[in-house]
Formats: sequence, structure tokens, C-alpha cells
Amino acid sequence: MDTIGADIVVKTLLEEGVEAIFGYPGANTLPLNDRLTGSRIRHYLMRHEQGAAHAADGYARATGKVGVCLSTSGPGATNMVTGIATAYMDSTPMVAITAQVNSDLWGRDAFQETDIIGITMPITKHSFMVRDVNQIASSFRQAFELAGSGRTGPVLVDIPRDILSAPCGDQPKRRPAAPPSKPAGNPEQIERIAQALSRSERPVIIIGGGVKLGNACDRATEFVQTAQVPFVTTMMGIGSVATTNGFNLGFIGTHGNELANRTVHQADFILALGTRFTERSTSRIEEFAPLATVAQIDIDPTSIGKNIRVDLPLVGDIREALAALIPLIVSRERKAWQERIRTDRQTLGEKLIDGGCGQAGTLIRKIQAAMPRETIAVADVGLNQIWTVRTWQSHSPRSLLTSGGMGTMGFSLPAAIGARVGAPDRDVVAICGDGGFHMNIQELATISTYRLPIKIVVINNGHLGMIRQMQDLFYEARFTTSFLGDTVDLTAVAKGFGIQAERVAMDEDPEEAIARMASAPGPYMLEAMVDPNAYVYPIIPPGRSNVEMICGK
Amino acid sequence: MAIEERTISMLVNNQPGVLSRIAGVFSSRGYNIRSLCVAETINPEVSRITLTSRAESDFTEKIKKQLDKLVDIISVTDFTGAPSVQRELMLVSLLLTVENRREVLRAVDLFGCRVVTMSEDHLILEITANKDKTAAILKYFEPFGVEEMNRTGAIAVFRQKREG
Ligand SMILES: Cc1ncc(C[n+]2csc(CCOP(=O)(O)OP(=O)(O)O)c2C)c(N)n1
Repeated sequence: MDTIGADIVVKTLLEEGVEAIFGYPGANTLPLNDRLTGSRIRHYLMRHEQGAAHAADGYARATGKVGVCLSTSGPGATNMVTGIATAYMDSTPMVAITAQVNSDLWGRDAFQETDIIGITMPITKHSFMVRDVNQIASSFRQAFELAGSGRTGPVLVDIPRDILSAPCGDQPKRRPAAPPSKPAGNPEQIERIAQALSRSERPVIIIGGGVKLGNACDRATEFVQTAQVPFVTTMMGIGSVATTNGFNLGFIGTHGNELANRTVHQADFILALGTRFTERSTSRIEEFAPLATVAQIDIDPTSIGKNIRVDLPLVGDIREALAALIPLIVSRERKAWQERIRTDRQTLGEKLIDGGCGQAGTLIRKIQAAMPRETIAVADVGLNQIWTVRTWQSHSPRSLLTSGGMGTMGFSLPAAIGARVGAPDRDVVAICGDGGFHMNIQELATISTYRLPIKIVVINNGHLGMIRQMQDLFYEARFTTSFLGDTVDLTAVAKGFGIQAERVAMDEDPEEAIARMASAPGPYMLEAMVDPNAYVYPIIPPGRSNVEMICGK
Repeated sequence: MAIEERTISMLVNNQPGVLSRIAGVFSSRGYNIRSLCVAETINPEVSRITLTSRAESDFTEKIKKQLDKLVDIISVTDFTGAPSVQRELMLVSLLLTVENRREVLRAVDLFGCRVVTMSEDHLILEITANKDKTAAILKYFEPFGVEEMNRTGAIAVFRQKREG
């Protein structure tokens, strides 16, 4: 066989260390599918391109490597949009490859032609349109470099079929890349931050998703221990620092822990690591941390001061910045502050049974207890997400994956596929609601076909639970468009896909069913029925501040 | 926050899609681009884009850093408030009448406009000046019957060599 463009793509992907691609074919991807076969790269045939993008995302979140997805032009490409946006909002390193119609057809509304670069411009870090076989290698190399460096994120490569099929010679070998520069940031500013922290009386560290993305979890743990300062996380930061460490106060924001929100509100100094302070974390921004001097460290200059006023900004690689900070910190005992947090912890702890997660919380706790310690939980969106992120104890950084920035229902099932492919030695459990389960239900077929031993827990309340809760609390219990009904037998559906499944009734102890799921060698679905009136508390009503949490109707 | 007119100049890779990305940075944050000038530089692989926008004084925070992040942007310079020379080119087509003729021609002379063509009843002027001046000139001629007007938007260079 003569060398064609598709061979160069495969070769470049191999050079980049790609082992798995999640995709769905079309006429325009065929030259590439053809040449991928027989290479060391495994192409996982998903059942929808959205699933492919989420799987690549899950793969990246579980491994820290760049995830790769592939779709054809037109509908294949547009189907990936939600998945690309999800990756963008959580800064997942990803390369999305879309095949395009032949270049002589561009701009003619040809069959399955869409301007996918135009469509995805606001949700990608960058994109490449490959116009020439000789650009293939360089475009892909740059795409991987961009996706995985700085503030990581999705990069799209659009490549027309004629270029994939074009005969070509070998392309220049990859030059050994210079190790990416990882600046710690301005040393004087680091000094100032260290001083401000050391002087403060009521300091708190806020750990965002950037700590994981910057592979700085061990440094952050060391930092917390050296500084002896309590920390909170954002939802994306959960699990960055082992939660058993006594300094952890939980996560902040709309659905966060009251202790975390309260403590931030009282703090006189905040050190923010890798967070952009979205309104989900801060609630009413004007009343967020009103007493605090704020220091913010981020690799992305646009994230600094994006949402809140920052007194001590530092643009730098979190890992390096922390390494520079650690020796400068003077740790001291802050008796009054510790005492205050301790009292708060006690009084708040008594207020909430099961951390506000009720029956579902118990279920998730039992699931975790039955699964190996290194299990990865992939939470969907809705009440189930909040229950999961509040209950699941992360013992290592990449143990809890969820769509935080985009809040994409249907994320968990395909992302779990990617996670399992990327981390075949770890167990993976996807936890979703009945609504989110429906959204990418077709991926049960992927799980079944590849016999991926993924555990799926559907917390079935017969409703779009989170929507129902909002209607109950903020729309005077006028329920509309939130009832999903009880006519669908999800367990039978899963079985139909070839997946072992069972249902646990609302008043039944789930323990035995969980044990069966945990010990099943293959994929397993557990449908746990829960009360539609079980909500998540506390919650912050829209427009309120982080200390105005409500704990019931 | 105070709103002010900003002149931003960028060196960019001369490639399809670049302008659209830049426009996206402005539009997604609700900023309107008021004028825009694009041309190749001495190096044909690099273009210069100069644009003006009315933006809040936290412009640098909100827009410049976003522009800096775009892969195809080589550099971003904010000319606002810096010692610079700014010019735009304006073409004005005017109706001449027996009554206005004398006054119009006197103004053309005073303002230093270049006459591109002139006939009995019609005149096309070329004006190169900074934006305030072109605006003032246009305002002056408007009552005489401006048939058509077109202008380029501002371009700019620094007055002296910059440090660093
Ligand atoms: C794709 C998508 N569509 C709509 C929403 C809005 N939304 C957020 S939570 C939710 C309800 C989720 O219901 P379900 O999956 O059953 O989970 P539960 O809240 O009951 O746990 C909806 C519709 C969303 N986040 N994502």
C-alpha cells in the first residue's frame, strides 16, 4: 500500500502516545479508519459521537493524557459539540478529529458539509483545518501540544477526505520537543503571597480543578501540611488533596458544604489555586469572602481576576509556584481560628443527617465500601451529582470525575467508558439519575460490546430530581416538565443491551445487591429506587450569598 | 466602570479564520467593534489588524488577555493613552450648489482636504486625519448635503521607539 495522508495521521498519533480513539465512522473518516486498523491504536466504536467526545474526555480525566475522539463531517461533527464544550469548560486536554468533505466541495453546501471549525470556535482552545498533506504531521503535533499545555483544553483538527487519501511521501520526523516551560511566576509576588499568608489570622486555601490539571496534588497536600492552613475546594477540586487530611472543610458553592462556605465567608486571607471563581462557587459575588485579601495563582492569565477582585495575582504553573511558596511559609498555630472552625463543624454536623444526602448518600457510601479503594466514580448531573460528590471519598486525585463547568447530563456513561479504557486496572462506577441515564443510554451497547466491567448505578426517582427540587422550593411546588414517569423498565432495558442488571426497591436494603454488583466480573447495572421528594440540602437560592444556605422548604 | 474608546493593534498570522476568532473574543463579551483595519505587513505571512472599540477601563483584564491567548495572534498592543500617531482615511462625496459652493471650497481649503474629483455640482474629498478631526470635518460638511461617506477606521503607530 502506498503511503497516504491517513498513514501520516496514524503515525503522528502514535508518536504522540495515543493508544485509544473513541469514534464513529462516516464516508469521510474511512481512509483513516482503514489505516488505523492494524495499528497499535485501538478505535472504540461508540454509539453516538457525543458519547465519543465524552469518552475521550473521561479518558483524559482518568489518566491526565490527551483524549482523542473522531467523527465524520456534518452530523458526526455537530454531534460532538456538546462533548467538546464539556471538555472546554473543565479544561480537559483533548484532540477532536473531524473528517471533512473533499476540499474541492468546500462552501458548496455539499452533502454533510458543515463549518465545524466555525461552530466550535468558542469552545475550543484552537483548531486546525488541514489543507495540505504536508501539514498533517505539524497540525496534529501542534494540536497535541496545545491541548496538553498551559491551561489544557480541547483542540479540533478538521481534515478533508481527499487529504486523508492523498498519496504522500514520509514527513519529517518529530523533533524532540523542548520540555514545556513551566514558570513558577514572579518571585517577588510569590514572596508577597507567602508573607500575606503567614501574617493572616484566618486563612483558607481554595483548591480548584487546576490543581489536578497541573499535576500538583502532591504539592498542594504538602503545602496544606506545611502551612497548617484549612482548605476548601471547588467541585472540580474535590479529591486533589486526600480528603481524610484533617484540614479539609469540604467544597464551596451553591451545593457545597455549609462549613466550607461559612469559613470562606469569615476568612481574612484566601489563597486560590487553579480556580476561576465561577458563580457556582461564589454565589452572589458581591458578598463572597467579604473580609478576605485574595491571592490567586493560575497558569491562565485570563482566569485571574475574571470573576472577583484579586489583591495578589500570580500567573504561573501551580506545581512550580507551590514549590516556590512552600519554603517561604511560616507555619503558625492559629488557635482562635481553629477553635471557631471546630465549633462550626460540630454545630453544622449535627444539623445535617447524612451530610444532607439522605437515602442516596447511604447508598453511595455502601457502594464505595463494597468497591476497591482505587475505584473511579463518574458522577452525572443533577441531584445524583451532588449526592455523589458530597459522599464519595476520594483517596487519590483522579477518583471522582464529573462535568462541573458545563453540567452535561448524560456525561457519566460515556465518560466511564473512557475512564475504564484509560485505567484498565481500576474499577469504574458511573452514578447517574434516570434522566441523565437516558441521555446517552445508547452507550450501554458500547459497554456491552467491549465487555467493559463498568458498574452503573441509576438513582431512579422517576423525575428530573434537581428540576423538581427547584420547582418545589422556588416555584411554589408547581411541578411541570419534571416527571419522567414510571413506564420504562430500566433494568429490562439494560438487560436488553446485554448487561446484567437488577432493581432495588425504595424500602429494601441495597447491601446485597451492591455486593453482587461489586463481585460481578462484567458490566453491571443497579437501579436504585429513591423517593422523588428526597432532595439535596443545604442549597443556596438563586441570587443569594454563600452563607444564605437553606436546609429545607 | 468608565467606558472609553480603545485602539488596539495586533500582529497576527495571515490565515483564514483569524479575524473570526478575534471577533469572537469581542462579541462573546458584549463588546462592539467600531472600526477595523486589516492589511499585510512587510512580511506577507503576518497581518496587522487595528481596531477600535468602546470598552470598559478593565479592558486589559477582559479582552487583551483573551486576545493574547489566541494561537494565531503574535502580539497585542493597546494604543489607548500612549503617545502615538493615529490616522484614518475618509472619502466624502458632496453635492455642490450655487449657494454652498463658495463656502464649501473655502472649508476644503481650510481643513486641508484633498479634492479627488470635482464637477459642476459634485465633489469628492479625501481626508486623512485622526478620528476626532475626521469626525469634526464630517460634521461641518453634513448640512451641505453629504451624498456618501466612507472611512477606513483608525491605524496607529507609536510616536517614539518603545522601551523593551
Ligand atoms: C443536557 C442537559 N440538559 C438539561 C440540563 C438541566 N438539568 C440539570 S439537572 C436536571 C435534572 C436531572 O435529572 P436526573 O438525571 O433524573 O437526575 P436527578 O436530579 O433526579 O438525580 C436537568 C434537566 C442539564 N444539566 N443538561
